[in-house]
Amino acid sequence: MFTLDSRLKTDFLGSVLKTPLLLPAGVMGISASSLLYAVQSGAGIVTTKSLTLQPRKGHDGPVISPVEGGFINAMGLCNPGIEFGIKEISEFKIKSFVPVIASVFATEPEGFVKLTEFINDSEADFIELNLSCPNVSAEYGVPLSSSPVIVEEVVRAVTDISKIPVIAKLSPNVPDIKLLALAAEKGGASALCLINTLGPGMEIDINIGRPVLKNIFGGMSGPCVKPIAVKLVYEASSVVKIPIIGLGGIMTGADAVEMLMAGASIIGIGTGIYYRGMDIYRKVNNELNEFLMKKDFKHIDEIKRINIDG
Amino acid sequence: MDKRISLRIDKIVEETSSVKTFCFSSPIDALPGQFIMLSDLRTGEKPFSISSSDSNGFSVTVKALGPFSSGMFAFKTGDFLSIRGPFGKPFDLRKGSILIAGGGVGVPPLFFLARELKKAGTEVVFINGAKNSDELIFKDLINELGINQIIMTDDGSSGKKGNAAEGLLNTLNESDFDAVYVAGPEGMLKKIADIKTDTYMELLIERYMKCAVGICGQCAVDPSGIRVCVEGPVFNQNMIRKLTEFGVYKRDAAGRKKYFEKAFSK
Ligand SMILES: Cc1cc2nc3c(=O)[nH]c(=O)nc-3n(C[C@H](O)[C@H](O)[C@H](O)COP(=O)(O)OP(=O)(O)OC[C@H]3O[C@@H](n4cnc5c(N)ncnc54)[C@H](O)[C@@H]3O)c2cc1C
Ligand SMILES: Cc1cc2nc3c(=O)[nH]c(=O)nc-3n(C[C@H](O)[C@H](O)[C@H](O)COP(=O)(O)O)c2cc1C
Repeated sequence: MFTLDSRLKTDFLGSVLKTPLLLPAGVMGISASSLLYAVQSGAGIVTTKSLTLQPRKGHDGPVISPVEGGFINAMGLCNPGIEFGIKEISEFKIKSFVPVIASVFATEPEGFVKLTEFINDSEADFIELNLSCPNVSAEYGVPLSSSPVIVEEVVRAVTDISKIPVIAKLSPNVPDIKLLALAAEKGGASALCLINTLGPGMEIDINIGRPVLKNIFGGMSGPCVKPIAVKLVYEASSVVKIPIIGLGGIMTGADAVEMLMAGASIIGIGTGIYYRGMDIYRKVNNELNEFLMKKDFKHIDEIKRINIDG
Repeated sequence: MDKRISLRIDKIVEETSSVKTFCFSSPIDALPGQFIMLSDLRTGEKPFSISSSDSNGFSVTVKALGPFSSGMFAFKTGDFLSIRGPFGKPFDLRKGSILIAGGGVGVPPLFFLARELKKAGTEVVFINGAKNSDELIFKDLINELGINQIIMTDDGSSGKKGNAAEGLLNTLNESDFDAVYVAGPEGMLKKIADIKTDTYMELLIERYMKCAVGICGQCAVDPSGIRVCVEGPVFNQNMIRKLTEFGVYKRDAAGRKKYFEKAFSK
């Protein structure tokens, strides 16, 4: 059983989380009740699906396919639109004190600014800029987070008007994550979130002779991406001072500890839900507690980013 | 469950002018109430209940409604389809005397259930409901199981006049059952879920599905957020009654609430 153990209590940008485990954008999160379900299952902070100015029904199926060690997915940013989305946030807030991150997606700074105006009138605790969706390139070209200049510009435009702290969600699909991390920090981001899905990848059905995903390509998630996520969090945290939400393939307490040692402040779990159930948050909380006890740590803060020079 | 496969259609049975059964002769490990995600890797990918499964293979029974299901009607024996699954929580098979009530394409998963119950030696009464005699499906298959079949049609063109919900209410009043299993359109399910009864009851419900593996949140239902693709699609009567959206609205592909046109009577 997960008890409200103070050892896992974590401060994140001034909010106190019962546990550093986060529900990431696009996983559940379509409604107030799906966010609540993650909270009931032991998550300490939750993120909405990435909201856009207009509703989007997303790509036709298949939108997801299992691969060795994870999934490829191209949901296509399905979401009910910002106006409906902030109503779901209010509904969630009636029922829970757990902080909510509103994830938003646009294709240029003006779109992000408009979305931020909506979020300013909402009860969201944080705004996360999805600069990194790899699954809408056919419509919009390469993700914004491919360019440090654009990342800085978008983040600055949003921080200039946002009433709440801004998180930049970065893509793993770049030659040097440090440049993007620095650009987001320079633009005024209060935190980073990485990684979004990897690749994207592709799968072909050999009997039908067609790509499996309707979108042809899809971002990879799940345990197969963890080594890359750990590496990118490690690199980003070597250059920025702002906290990092580390995610990508986290399945166990041990994985979460590894992510903290890579330099993350809090840890996201998405695809892991498939492998270990919604209960994965409760299970990982327990495993984190066990690790702390075994190490005689009084608090999760004692798990530090590794220092290989020392 | 961890794999996606593509299988050859080995047989197609025309049930009615708008319903076809697609048979695959590779076995899958499926239980009554579970579903698969079926795709041509061209038009889309949609959920369908398994309408039979044994060591020789399995089938799904499809009603032509919109782009995907109508597109299915162009497929021929020998064509390949992509299959993910089986997914979802199956019916909890009880012993004793069992009442089953199905309407429309709720009938196929219940046929699979009836066949398994019959194999286990259970006594089954099957209420098979349809709009009219032309739309009635699986009548002969159900008879071949050697169980008591009560046919209900809205216009009385076959069996008794009335819908499956009315048939169920009458049958429940006449005799005692150990469990009731129901599938069909939401209006019918809502009426049945509202019946006050001590008899154990399970209902198979539908919500818009995308990933079918419990991560995308598309089929999460209010107020608890439980996922129809994982915690369902079969729920017991108590759980259904707790779903505040049941019979009231469902979410579309974008996640917006779509209210049912007709408010279902209490
Ligand atoms: C668990 C489950 C089991 C089902 N079993 C069967 C079955 O055995 N036989 C059968 O004929 N039908 C079954 N359905 C319904 C079937 O999935 C829809 O008829 C099909 O998706 C329609 O797609 P379309 O493109 O042909 O029509 P559309 O015009 O797109 O839609 C027609 C109707 O189907 C619903 N629908 C569309 N897409 C989806 C989706 N991705 N998930 C759920 N509902 C959708 C729509 O809300 C609408 O009510 C089942 C649905 C679920 C959720
Ligand atoms: C089905 C699915 C949908 C996703 N949708 C979004 C999204 O809308 N916005 C976003 O920023 N990230 C989205 N992601 C990425 C996740 O938030 C996360 O960054 C990624 O999956 C890696 O974590 P994981 O391996 O724990 O899933 C999605 C991932 C999945 C699997």
